Amino acid sequence: MTSQTATTNRSELVVESREMDEKKFRGKVKGTVFGPIIALVIFLSLWQSIPIVFDMKPFILPKPTDVLQAAIDDWHLLWPAIQVTVTESVIGFIISAIVGIWISILLASSRILEVSLYPYAVILQTIPVVAIAPIIVIWFGSGFNSIVIISFLIGFFPVVSNTLMGLNSVDENMGDLFSLYNASKWQTMWKLRIPAAMPYMMSGLKISCTLAIVGAITGEFIAGIGGGRGGLGYAITVAAVQLKTPYLFACAIAGAIFGIGFYLLVSLVSRFMLKSWHESSMKVEK
Amino acid sequence: MGAMQKEVVSFKGVDKIYNTGTVALSQLDLSIHEGEFISFLGPSGCGKSTALRMVAGLGEATKGKVEVFGQNPKELIRNSNDIAYVFQDSNLLPWRTVLDNVVLPLELRGSNKNTRKEIAMRVLEMVGLKDYLKSYPRQLSGGMKMRVSIARALAAKPKLLLMDEPFAALDEMTRQSLQMDLLDIWKKERTTILFVTHNVYEAVYLSSQIAVMSARPGRLSSLIDVDLPYPRDRVTSTFTEYVDLASQSLEYSLNRKELG
Ligand SMILES: Nc1ncnc2c1ncn2[C@@H]1O[C@H](COP(=O)(O)OP(=O)(O)OP(=O)(O)O)[C@@H](O)[C@H]1O
Ligand SMILES: [Mg+2]
Repeated sequence: MTSQTATTNRSELVVESREMDEKKFRGKVKGTVFGPIIALVIFLSLWQSIPIVFDMKPFILPKPTDVLQAAIDDWHLLWPAIQVTVTESVIGFIISAIVGIWISILLASSRILEVSLYPYAVILQTIPVVAIAPIIVIWFGSGFNSIVIISFLIGFFPVVSNTLMGLNSVDENMGDLFSLYNASKWQTMWKLRIPAAMPYMMSGLKISCTLAIVGAITGEFIAGIGGGRGGLGYAITVAAVQLKTPYLFACAIAGAIFGIGFYLLVSLVSRFMLKSWHESSMKVEK
Repeated sequence: MGAMQKEVVSFKGVDKIYNTGTVALSQLDLSIHEGEFISFLGPSGCGKSTALRMVAGLGEATKGKVEVFGQNPKELIRNSNDIAYVFQDSNLLPWRTVLDNVVLPLELRGSNKNTRKEIAMRVLEMVGLKDYLKSYPRQLSGGMKMRVSIARALAAKPKLLLMDEPFAALDEMTRQSLQMDLLDIWKKERTTILFVTHNVYEAVYLSSQIAVMSARPGRLSSLIDVDLPYPRDRVTSTFTEYVDLASQSLEYSLNRKELG
């Protein structure tokens, strides 16, 4: 726990040691992890006892143990379904990230383009994907391709709106600095606007990664199975028809766990990307 | 400074009216010669920043003409690195290290990578920061950031250095040491410096000339030649006389505004 002090001729700089930060960080993690765990335990015990107390059938409200049992018994069905949904939503997310960022850069590089096209992006966003999904199925056939496209469509807009906001939020003085040195439009884009937009871009990606999963599961409801293997959304529709409620719960919970995991992964990547970059991601210090 | 010195900056009957209707400058006439250290002193809102931005080609005169080295500033910055600007806050890019921040002007002008680094090292040494090449701005104190910002301005070897209240946000100790650094650099590099400040002591300590400006609409109210040898001593009676003179001019310009 040493705290080094570096001294220059006249000013001083105190470099907080990394160890100390890590300790503080761990303390914080302990606090933020314990609360939710306790809440979860209470929630699970309530859930476990309610069907017993009120004598409810498992197909109305299964107990957590029923759900777990269903997950284990039907693991040979559940696991492939998870894999399918994960693949679809990750691909949908990656496409929405890449396409979203490029479209934002394109729009931001031309005022005319932005002013004339952005309103339509907003309008497109307000159309419920469920409404256009059947058209997508007509165009691209049921199954994988359509599902990925639906997932992409849902995840795409948050990336565009956030990135665009970031690209337009450049500090005026920094803009002046670049004009003073006669920076070209693209130099300003690559060396100023894009780096300045990074935190916005990353929060857009964080929103879009969970939406991509919602998109994939919704897509599976509509575009079904095509080509043989269905994902979690498809498994849920089947389970609902067959009244296999515990398995339905298992599918939904698997989707949620994947969602949390994916979100954490994207957050981690974003933290890493912004680490050397921005104060905004360094708010832990202070 | 002799009358034969080359003219670097000239304001000829310059008006600046912003599109909000604010008259920021009115009938500004001023000629600044090579090697001068001129401070613009005046109340808040009198158009000091506006004037400086016009010299840097970042704003245009509504009426009249601003010329730098006999050229339109906008043309000048398109073709040369003659002008550098030190902003009020250090204005560093937070995602770049100290070295990469200093190198930026050269990078934007497309100069060779090795020369860039060489030049950056030289200017960082000049401001006493060559041990902090790899640090990020957030790891530096306010004074150090300001020094990086000055180093960045010097990296492009400007003939004209514009500084808009560069030391305003610093504590007295840091400010004084940076003032000394700045005078050293001025002496070594023989750049012409336009320096904006609110602080009368700072103006007298640093400048060879003080342009006192009156409040809205901003115009030049007096031009004081500070005939004191460098390095200046803040406690001599002549220093105090200049401080009084500048303060009086400043007060006069304020009163005139209240009366009119
Ligand atoms: N972009 C702008 N649009 C409209 N009005 C402006 C703009 N910039 C400055 N002004 C106005 O012009 C006047 C002069 O502004 P300027 O920033 O040049 O003053 P200043 O002397 O630098 O003041 P300070 O010492 O507070 O920095 C002020 O009244 C200000 O409100
Ligand atoms: Mg100002």
